[in-house]
Amino acid sequence: MVNDIAIIGYAQSPSWRRSELTEPQFLFPVISEALDTANVARRDIGFTCAGSCDYLSGQTFAFVMNLEAVGAWPPISESHVEMDGAWALYEAWVRLQHGDIDIALAFGSGKSSPGSTAEIYPLQLDPYTLTPLGVDPVSLAALQARAMLDKGTITEREMAEIAARSRANAADNPYAQVRGKADPDDLLREPYVTVPLRRHDLPPISDGACAVVLATADKARAVAKRPVWIRGFDHRIEAHQPGMRDLTESLSTRQAAKHAGVADGPVDVAEVSATFSHQEKLLREAMGLDDHVAVNPSGGPLAANPVMAVGLARIAEAARAIAERGASRAVAHATSGQCLQQNLVCVLEGE
Amino acid sequence: MSPTDAESTDDGSVKMMDYFMQLEYHELLCPVVRRYADQLLEGRLVGHKCPSCGLVYVPPRGYCPICVVETTQADEVVLNDRGTVTNYTVVTPVQYYGQHETEPFVRASVLLDGEGGMMNLQDIVDVPVDEVRVGMRVAAVWKPAEERSVADITNRSWGSAEGCIVGWRPTGEPDQPVDQVQGKAF
Repeated sequence: MVNDIAIIGYAQSPSWRRSELTEPQFLFPVISEALDTANVARRDIGFTCAGSCDYLSGQTFAFVMNLEAVGAWPPISESHVEMDGAWALYEAWVRLQHGDIDIALAFGSGKSSPGSTAEIYPLQLDPYTLTPLGVDPVSLAALQARAMLDKGTITEREMAEIAARSRANAADNPYAQVRGKADPDDLLREPYVTVPLRRHDLPPISDGACAVVLATADKARAVAKRPVWIRGFDHRIEAHQPGMRDLTESLSTRQAAKHAGVADGPVDVAEVSATFSHQEKLLREAMGLDDHVAVNPSGGPLAANPVMAVGLARIAEAARAIAERGASRAVAHATSGQCLQQNLVCVLEGE
Repeated sequence: MSPTDAESTDDGSVKMMDYFMQLEYHELLCPVVRRYADQLLEGRLVGHKCPSCGLVYVPPRGYCPICVVETTQADEVVLNDRGTVTNYTVVTPVQYYGQHETEPFVRASVLLDGEGGMMNLQDIVDVPVDEVRVGMRVAAVWKPAEERSVADITNRSWGSAEGCIVGWRPTGEPDQPVDQVQGKAF
């Protein structure tokens, strides 16, 4: 028995290459805006869950400071995941299933600008066997793209086309960092960063935050003008050692999509955490999305990549597609780990 | 990062390896802390006074986390550089890597006179550590203007005036009664 839970509010910060604000400082207005759009106050929140990464912040217990943007006095009921805010939302969704509270807040935030992501991620994700080899996320993504190219499941032109479409889609997205018109032919003339990836295949380095407010069915109907219903929610994980997996597939995405019920109805919009261009095609196939599905109409992570918030932003953008842009059914995907190791799928519907 | 000599077993298989790792972070100073640092160089302590509850934050954060309201330069107050020790710890240094202190030292919370504002993790100087006490009256010992530096001030160094204030020296005034300052955390 799963209780109906709705998204009743959401907000994002712009995606900045380098913000001079601290994480709690730029979280503060984002959380206020999310609560305003939900038509609820901070004191109405029954449970708060945050997603952030102390390794990224470069400070132990940095996530405690982020709570200052929520307000934690008198003491509140809260939790934190050292994961993207999408998993914070999952925990908040589980917490609401208990039925004793009716509103929950989830948020994700991160500043990638102060450190070197190429050094931080290997240490965070596997300090034992991968870090000594010096494999950073771009190198691993390049291996994954190479495997797909060798298998014939993607071409470099398709990758450039995905990047060009992402930038075009982001043109009207006020939160995006990389946007505008790009010709795939021009992109393909650019040099490689790490073969076979060119600059356009990589996400930008971003600072930013996202917040989403959830409510139980009765509460959502009482306060929200356009509640967006969570119809399916699932996440699956695979072996963390990339050499143990077929990188040209995403079994965990396939399983999460199946259990979240993606195939139970037509999908209008999908917001997917394809942090590298080739991953969009891989995810599209793993989730069984046909060519009619608008993928990443916001521009996706290639346009704005605030790590630890980017997955939650996919859910916020999918909800926006329904609440503000007339979509009926949308799918959001978040990922964690190297080369799509862990994947979360959320199915959303309007009234 | 480089591996040290591996410890091997008799058959030559590696049993243990040490890795030294280092990550560097370079964060821009946020505007409210930048202004705090500029004022420190001028020999002034400034904070933000919450327009809702009146608590003073030093350095300013740009918000009051208790009332959850934003604060701006309009809420800035110039603070006293005299105050009272409300709490302290005597730290006996263990010589771990990076520890430069060799003798026991104090880290105290100092509640500033007048508008208030709590300076945390402050050094108390020119007095034996066993004479430091709650209620003790202290005044800031500023470095000469030409020697001041805010290079070590970061967005995370809440309460720090490092590089500008050497520490806090007892003024010799009678102690403030303990029950007036005990339990103050802000």
